[in-house]
Amino acid sequence: MKIKNTDVVAEYLHEVDLRLTGLPVLQRRELLADLAAHIATERTERNIQTEGELIEVLEKLGAPEVVANAAYEEAGTRPPRPVPKQRRNWLPAAIAAGAVALVLVVCGFFAFFAMATGHDGPPRPVHVVPGPR
Amino acid sequence: MADAAPLSTSLRRGTLEFCVLALVEREDRYGTELVRRLGDEPNLAASEGTIYPLLSRLRRVGWLDSKWSESPSGPPRRYYGLTPAGRAALEHFRSEWVSFRQTVDRLVGTGEVA
Repeated sequence: MKIKNTDVVAEYLHEVDLRLTGLPVLQRRELLADLAAHIATERTERNIQTEGELIEVLEKLGAPEVVANAAYEEAGTRPPRPVPKQRRNWLPAAIAAGAVALVLVVCGFFAFFAMATGHDGPPRPVHVVPGPR
Repeated sequence: MADAAPLSTSLRRGTLEFCVLALVEREDRYGTELVRRLGDEPNLAASEGTIYPLLSRLRRVGWLDSKWSESPSGPPRRYYGLTPAGRAALEHFRSEWVSFRQTVDRLVGTGEVA
């Protein structure tokens, strides 16, 4: 039973560790040491015997992603992989779409003015030309 | 009710760290003790594991110091204490907080004389 309890803790700490790859190594080690000490203290001071009680301790600590996100937030950095990667794929496409839209709008304006001046343009020479004659 | 969680998260951000500093103002406390103490407050309730990264940052900015020490019964404990810089930061927060709170009370209409 005791070995199994340790497995639950080791698995939890491993899951947290997996999500901390973007943090400086010492901050990563520090957090894992703090969490391990917390769990060990709770086990002793609350006299935890069963795996169910131990899981409650881990649940109160929070899901590994919640703890890891807090670590990134406090460190002033962002988590390395999952979310930013998708955003990076979206960003160039969004910029390209925006550029195309801008070009179309600008072309539209030029076309509009070209047509507008096109109508105004010809009559002027017509008026100017007869003058000298 | 759906808006309660984001609001309390926003309010907690920027104030929780001073609650931590205040908890170690008079005596050093160990991590689990701080986590339990904060967990007892319904308005501050967050996943306990998120307190440790906060403690780490407060130590890195020089507001807390920490030392590991053996406990009479059980695993080693990491005790946190207030540094002079942390004490100054807490005092500064106290005066800022009072005027900030008064302004919000006045504008939002939550003051006693509102």
